[in-house]
Amino acid sequence: MTELEQKIRAEAARLLSEGLVDVVMAFRKEDAPLRPQPAFFTCVEDLENLIYNGLCANNLANYLTRYPDETRIGMLVRGCENRSVNALVVEKQHSRQNLYLIGVPCTGIIDWRKVVALTGEDILGYEETDSSLHVRTKRQSYQLPRRELLHASCQRCVHPNPLSADIVLGEALPEGDPALIRERVEAFEALTRAERTAYFKQEAERCIRCYACREACPMCYCEECFVDHNSPRWTESGTTPAGTHAWHIIRAFHQTGRCTSCGACERACPMDIQMTYLTDKLGKDMWDSYQFAAGMDAKSQPPFASFTLDDRKHFQAGGMHS
Amino acid sequence: MKYILPKQDLNALLERWSAEYAVLAPQKSGAYAEFLPYTPRSELCLEEPHNTRYPPKALFFPQSEAILQYKRTTGQLESISAVAQKRVIFGIRPCDAKAVSLLDTVFAEGDNQDPFWQARRAETLLIGLGCHAPCATCFCTSAESGPFHTDGLDALLTDLGEIYLVELLSERAASLFDALAPASSILQENAQAVQSAAECALPKAFELDGLKGKLDRVFDQDIWAQLAQSCLGCGICTFLCPTCFCFDLVDEAQRDTRVRNWDTCMFRVYSLEASAHNPRPTRKERTRQRLMHKYSYWWEHADKLGCTGCGRCVRYCPVGLDIRAMIRTAGAYENEVLHAN
Repeated sequence: MTELEQKIRAEAARLLSEGLVDVVMAFRKEDAPLRPQPAFFTCVEDLENLIYNGLCANNLANYLTRYPDETRIGMLVRGCENRSVNALVVEKQHSRQNLYLIGVPCTGIIDWRKVVALTGEDILGYEETDSSLHVRTKRQSYQLPRRELLHASCQRCVHPNPLSADIVLGEALPEGDPALIRERVEAFEALTRAERTAYFKQEAERCIRCYACREACPMCYCEECFVDHNSPRWTESGTTPAGTHAWHIIRAFHQTGRCTSCGACERACPMDIQMTYLTDKLGKDMWDSYQFAAGMDAKSQPPFASFTLDDRKHFQAGGMHS
Repeated sequence: MKYILPKQDLNALLERWSAEYAVLAPQKSGAYAEFLPYTPRSELCLEEPHNTRYPPKALFFPQSEAILQYKRTTGQLESISAVAQKRVIFGIRPCDAKAVSLLDTVFAEGDNQDPFWQARRAETLLIGLGCHAPCATCFCTSAESGPFHTDGLDALLTDLGEIYLVELLSERAASLFDALAPASSILQENAQAVQSAAECALPKAFELDGLKGKLDRVFDQDIWAQLAQSCLGCGICTFLCPTCFCFDLVDEAQRDTRVRNWDTCMFRVYSLEASAHNPRPTRKERTRQRLMHKYSYWWEHADKLGCTGCGRCVRYCPVGLDIRAMIRTAGAYENEVLHAN
């Protein structure tokens, strides 16, 4: 058990034993190699199964909307999870007073696919240090540099520290370089229209409509998603280009001013489809137009969700120039 | 009969087949392998320890397929005929070939006669590649299959280093291999050793004996809610599953076409009724359905297990749910919890 795990368990145990929360959301030891699972602890005895390491890949804020507002939830939050929680609190999906956020500065999530690409899949065990991942397989051992194994979204992460946690365990990390996301978006913007279309098609058309991206996303909590609506139907439901294009475009647009760039969508995708180039583009537009970034606090409405009575009304007849 | 296929002769053989058949073989597409048409420039992906990411059931039962055309204005119907080209699917893994034969019970037996499935099945030969180095996520030997099982296959290849040993399993595949030299008994023994070693390398994932009854008896218990707690409710496990076969019929009215799309019991809308009632309202019921279908109901409708242990659902579950552990937990629930109380 690492020192950090020990601290998380101790804090979770305190919250449960003092009756301060009804459930603690964190991770538990994996059944399948390299795949720790989200876990929901309600009693102190179970906390011996709680683990935390770089392979804990899910955004736990995703599970927040499953609980009624009065449930008092303790949850482990890294930088992106904390921002997702903030964004959900803004959207009134849970009362902040019923949340206790156990913050952990995040050194980035290890992409298990990058690991198995290097080691093969017959993994017997692994140990993680600050700089490397040591993997044992049936045939040999590997010492892999941690930084190179990180998920692409984590390599570009700007805010690794929890911004509004109730307690922070571990040392604060330096902020990431915002230029990394911006440069990637600008590179996409610089492509010709035909090149952008080709890239979009290449990614979207591999889609198998499993909606893992939707289900893994904390911000996709609609009772009924537009693709599930059948009267009228808004998109083709199959894997035709018409269907996959519509899904990927509209899914991204619904994230405008809401996406916190956690990358959970891409980590969940079984077909390795790139999606954050679209949501990061929308994020850049929100910043450039409104100086807004999602989830930085638990109060600010996303620009497209906020309104005032004296908003410009250019959609009204004769209102174009008012 | 058993033959020797030197690896260096493989491309020439596939090319020979290409004159008569469309040949599909596993090739890298991005980070993963999938079945793509063979061309002389193809780089085959036969050394990977596991199967293609997307299941080969799609080669017989495509994820989206037009099955009927109509004219809304005149009410005229135009059926789409089920025509298939002659194909060889080369390098399919035994778990996936067995899955295709399991799906025959759904699409080609008794009252279930699906012309699209049948046309493709009749024209397709399955040439399998055994798994001499199964993955940690594979559990075929626990699921009535195995790394060198032959169900559904027309021939099975065993990798012996420089050569493949080819075991011929159907008459219709004979002409594919008639130019090959027969294998000596020593080579056959070598192959036997490779096959046994692979089987022994796979630990028992769960005990199948009596499992159906154990699951049936805990149908009403809370264990399913516990198992489903972290499930996202996405369709990965079922869409990548080589035996899941549920589909939905949709009229794509703007192009006057009726389409058959894969569907999944893991989606909320799958069981949502027109009245707005949903008999499987939460992930608990939906997860239970997925596991019970494979490990209980399949026995009832086909007297077979509906899982071949290919491991895709384990490998690609975005929250790390492992069907082996879920089955073990549910199977043990009766004894450990119900009887203990």
